[in-house]
Amino acid sequence: MKSRFLTKLAVAATVALSAVTVTKAQDTGLDQVGRAEYFEALKGKRVVFIPISMGFDLTESWAAIFRKDAAKLGYTFDIKDPNWSTDAGTKALTAAISEKPDLLIVHNPDIQSYARLLTRAQDDGIKVLQINMPSVTTTDSYVGADWVELGEAEANALVDKCGTGKGPSTKIAFVQGVVTGAANIYLKHGIMNVLAQHPEIQIVSDQAANYDPAKARAIMETVLQQHPDLCGAVGVWDSQDVGIGAAVEAAGKQGQVYVVTSGGGNQNGCDNVEKGLLSMNISYNSPLMGHIAAQQIAELLTSSDAAGSRKANYFTPLTPITKENVNRRNCWTMEDLQ
Amino acid sequence: MATKLKLTQEGVVFVLAALLFVGFSLVLDRFLTVGNIIALVQSVSILGILSLGMAFVVIGRGIDLAMVATMVVAVAWGLVLSRSGLPLGAALLLGAGFVVLIGILTGIIVAYAEIPAIFTTLAMGSIVYGIGRTFFFQIDVQNTPVGYAWFDFLGRGTMGGVPVPVFAFACVALVVFLMLRYTRFGRFVYATGDNPLAARVTGVPTRVVMVAQYVITGLIAYLAGIVMAANVSGMNTRIYNSTMIYDVLLVVVLGGIGLSGGRGGVRNVLVGTALVGILLNGMTILNIGYTAQNLIKSVILLGAIVIDTLINPRDEQTAQQGDI
Amino acid sequence: MLKEDLIRLRYKYVPDHIVGELLAKRWMDNAIPFAALIIAIVIFGSLVPGFFSWGNLADYSRQFAELGLVVLALAIVMLSGGIDLSVGSTFALGVLLSIIGMNALDWGFGLTLVAVIGLGVVLGAINGVLIGYLRLRAFLTTLVTLITFRSIYDLVYPNFSTAIATGMPDSPMWDLLGYGDLFGIPASFYVIVVVAAAWHIVLSRMRPGWRLTAVGGARRSAHNAGINVRRTVCITYIWSGVLCTLAGFLNAARLSTAGTDVGIGLEIAALTAVVLGGNSLGGGRGSVAKAVIGTIIVLILTNGLISLSVPGPVNSLVLGSVLISAVFVDVRWMKNRHKLLNKVYVSPTYYKLPQAQSTKPGSGSPYALNDKLKDVGAIGLGVIEGAEDMILDRNDNLYCGNRHGDIMRWFAPDYTRHEIFAHVGGQPLGFAIDKDDNINVCIGGMGLYKVTQDREIIKLSDETNRSLFSVVDDSRLRLADDLDIAPDGRIFFSEATTRFEMHEWPVDALESRGNGRIICYDPKTGKSHTEIPNLIFPNGICMCHDGQSLLFAETWGCTVQRYWFDGPKKGQSEVLIADAPGYPDNINRASDGTYWLAFVGMRSPALDLALTMPGFRRRMARRCAPDAWMYPNLNTGLVIKFNEKGEVLESLWDLGGQKHPMITSIREHKGVLYLGGIYNNRIGTYQIPGADPNWCAVDTYWGAKA
Repeated sequence: MKSRFLTKLAVAATVALSAVTVTKAQDTGLDQVGRAEYFEALKGKRVVFIPISMGFDLTESWAAIFRKDAAKLGYTFDIKDPNWSTDAGTKALTAAISEKPDLLIVHNPDIQSYARLLTRAQDDGIKVLQINMPSVTTTDSYVGADWVELGEAEANALVDKCGTGKGPSTKIAFVQGVVTGAANIYLKHGIMNVLAQHPEIQIVSDQAANYDPAKARAIMETVLQQHPDLCGAVGVWDSQDVGIGAAVEAAGKQGQVYVVTSGGGNQNGCDNVEKGLLSMNISYNSPLMGHIAAQQIAELLTSSDAAGSRKANYFTPLTPITKENVNRRNCWTMEDLQ
Repeated sequence: MATKLKLTQEGVVFVLAALLFVGFSLVLDRFLTVGNIIALVQSVSILGILSLGMAFVVIGRGIDLAMVATMVVAVAWGLVLSRSGLPLGAALLLGAGFVVLIGILTGIIVAYAEIPAIFTTLAMGSIVYGIGRTFFFQIDVQNTPVGYAWFDFLGRGTMGGVPVPVFAFACVALVVFLMLRYTRFGRFVYATGDNPLAARVTGVPTRVVMVAQYVITGLIAYLAGIVMAANVSGMNTRIYNSTMIYDVLLVVVLGGIGLSGGRGGVRNVLVGTALVGILLNGMTILNIGYTAQNLIKSVILLGAIVIDTLINPRDEQTAQQGDI
Repeated sequence: MLKEDLIRLRYKYVPDHIVGELLAKRWMDNAIPFAALIIAIVIFGSLVPGFFSWGNLADYSRQFAELGLVVLALAIVMLSGGIDLSVGSTFALGVLLSIIGMNALDWGFGLTLVAVIGLGVVLGAINGVLIGYLRLRAFLTTLVTLITFRSIYDLVYPNFSTAIATGMPDSPMWDLLGYGDLFGIPASFYVIVVVAAAWHIVLSRMRPGWRLTAVGGARRSAHNAGINVRRTVCITYIWSGVLCTLAGFLNAARLSTAGTDVGIGLEIAALTAVVLGGNSLGGGRGSVAKAVIGTIIVLILTNGLISLSVPGPVNSLVLGSVLISAVFVDVRWMKNRHKLLNKVYVSPTYYKLPQAQSTKPGSGSPYALNDKLKDVGAIGLGVIEGAEDMILDRNDNLYCGNRHGDIMRWFAPDYTRHEIFAHVGGQPLGFAIDKDDNINVCIGGMGLYKVTQDREIIKLSDETNRSLFSVVDDSRLRLADDLDIAPDGRIFFSEATTRFEMHEWPVDALESRGNGRIICYDPKTGKSHTEIPNLIFPNGICMCHDGQSLLFAETWGCTVQRYWFDGPKKGQSEVLIADAPGYPDNINRASDGTYWLAFVGMRSPALDLALTMPGFRRRMARRCAPDAWMYPNLNTGLVIKFNEKGEVLESLWDLGGQKHPMITSIREHKGVLYLGGIYNNRIGTYQIPGADPNWCAVDTYWGAKA
């Protein structure tokens, strides 16, 4: 209570002071109305980010944006990096909850593992923003791809190439990521939505590569030997599915097998489109996602609503990137964000 | 003189591999073709190169669980350097330098500080990856730079219809064979592995030999890494702690190189690699899924070990203490 | 003088010997891991905010339950000389079955738990049969089963992934185990406490645990000792499987889900914990305490680094470095602890002997040199090896010990024939015959025993009450030396030293501390208690004729004292001889109502002086090899006769040392004095001039038998 009073006092003082300044030096212009209060409300707030892991394009791009925003707006920003381990992630989340920050940004490795802990966090009064990989627990805000829409887009692209009479066959392979991950489950739902209307398309292989390109490559090599007339492959993430592309290239079937995947629109993914490893890479634009999330962070931190009282969703736009439109406008590099 | 046919573990694995080979040839019409045999060898050539490196250090009564980590970090660093403007060749040389450094460090810890190799290298794996991600690069997956045809050739080219990785495997096998068989250093490795104390007493510089082992193993792994990076046009450093190292170890031990050192050679690795390769290839043609292949592979490997133990039972009286 | 007083006080009140005794403790093995644990707690406790908060500790204890079970599983297997790399995959299958049972198939809590434990038994038995009975190599086998179990997981998992993600089991027990408390402590924590305590008892206090350790320590010896090695090994893997799946059950209850990466790399974490705790690869060295310490360190490290928001790669850098340095310190500690112990164990004190009586011939001293033992006879020359003491029964047969652990009986009248009366297993020292003609004997390293005339060997006592604040467990008897029996049957016996083993008894002289004691065994209760503590190598004991007191000799103290254990002067003692020129050993009754006393060696001025210079002796013990140390002279034998007033009446010397260079015991029987020596190859016989030719010592104790 005391701190709120102090804050009010400080705001009042700032306003009074600015009023004095305004009267004294009229020619210095006017401070934007509400700006000081906005900054003041964010000052000293604590935000903790728990990604699946640092060290890849999506999380690095978000973290870069959050860091810049935190420095500008004066809240603290910490990353607890589980380094691809769900177990470490639950530890990190448990530790974060006991530290009672103002806001948690969570990137779920699967839809269930953190579900119970996220409820506990909100019960403890910590607001939770989920980014790109939601869990079954809905929290204050979700910013990320619309996975069902994405799945439908990927499936439609394949239907275009592999429908009856369009390709060498109607066989496609589905290389999943982590099967309990949000990306996977909801994306699969989208794909199945489309394929239900196109019974001629056959899924000849449906295996999980756990985000590992080497495993994706091994799976695809097997599939290509078993089905030399494969028409297309659909994956869940460009960093993994470059392995599919490599297997296709090694089998000398570039041009025959149409590889569709999705990703954050990083230059690496675009390079792989350019090399022909990936035929279509649908970008959900991770820097844009970062910016929307950053805006959400500020909004959640300044709002006086209790944790868990809102359920907001923000979907980023999808841009299919193919050889025709690989360019600097659609692709970003880490240097762009520094 | 009555010769009694006694199958060693290597023999068991060889017979098993041969049986599978014949079996697959008879049953699967697509198996016994030149194209498929080449594909078979290619699919295990990187595993084979890594196993040769591992065999080298295991013969010297060591083990290198940090092989994969060293390989991915050094190669990824090379790729990062080359994309930041250094010519790829020079960048890869710097990577090799890093490998040598890590090898020397590991060797010194094992040989001079006398920490068991299994823990040293287990920890070195984490340390090497930590160094790499902290100081060398930020992103786990590093793509190969565009425009180096010779580099792509290493992974994806062919010579006379045979893929270059297969050649690389053959060359490394030959070099390791010659080194172990015909150089003084090679004999020292066997002596050190067989009985380090006796070797030391007879004047073998065991500690130097051990350090050299880790350096050479690292360099072989680095070579495998380069072929791998060229092959998939990138390096995913996240495999530093994957089960890949177990596959490598399996090939080595399966072929009949005991972890207690001093025994085995290149032939054992080739036999072990052959069994794994034939198995994987056959199952692929049989239309067995990736996960199920792993299961069948491991069960057959287990069968090979069981058969070996039934033929060559270990005795309570002669078993070596601490030989796990 | 003042300086000497200071030295005396310093050595009286500074307990140097504790250092060595602490180092010798078995739990000292845990010193380095424990220190690492304390350091980890201090560092992370001060860095991580809210580290010691209740919520944080509760979170830790839940994770501790899971990791702890897996570490324990691996530790048990490693203790028996194997390794189980499949713990992570077994754990994962345990998680999967728990979740499938609870979320998908609605088995309920009880049935799921039974199924999960059953799964553990099956998976463990696969490893166990292969490694235990078929003798496959553990490393290779569990490496393969790691992959096998993992691929089973990968095959089954996708079929249930939707059910796993969406199922919400309704089971209060499940919720309690997952996130509930009992009396404020997480429910799962009780599981690990019970399991760990049970295993601690099994491993340290029960036969199956000892067998397991024996198999790990020396497989071949265990096999030859009759332990069923194969079954023992097999069972460790079964337990490993059960503990791992149980851990999986706890994990499933806590998170109510299973991810694809569950259990991956767990074998590395568990191995790290096991090694950090100080369990050795290859078996034989390990304990539950070590496993627990290792687990806590790993938990604190991993959680602490995450709490501190350390980037993932730096995290692994730190973990790797910690593993290497911990193993490094542990390896060095293992290697150097015994060296250090050897250096510091001997801890001399200040002791000032009074001026010795002269032994000059013609000086008028009762100790004046003569050569009366020159022509003594010999029994069992070359057959006897190390008869410290001997005794004769009413039928004149002679009993003595030898260094092979036998009691020999030499037959009257000429003592040329002998038999092994009983094999007791340790070197017999002092003898006494009780009123039922049983031979009571102190056996070095074993304790107080009784051998009946039917040759039945009965252990009377091998322990006494443990003294307060003793570092070493001094309740066990290390060196029971001589005994005598009071009229009511109580047996008083001396334990020469509690700090040294039998074969290094002369080293105790370098310390000259009161390391020994006199213990009383009461046949009525069957218990022993320490009667007189802190004696300087108490040795011979002999009952006085009054039945209320006894005489005892302190060998390195060079005194003979009388102690009243009954009667009006109960508890008092009186020094009879304080200025002996040598080191007194056994005391026995003489036919004329006085006592015989044997001297094992003679004092020398150099050692007497050294006893007042503890620093000098300590430097000697640290810097010189043991065979270059200054020892008491044990090369000149002497027997004296003294009375209860402490007057020395006669002395018998063997000047040339041809026959009895050291004499540890004397026994008078029917006019003959029998002489024994612990390093001698005979028993000497000396015809005592003028002695009663029919006097039998046993009769003076228990009366003549009809």
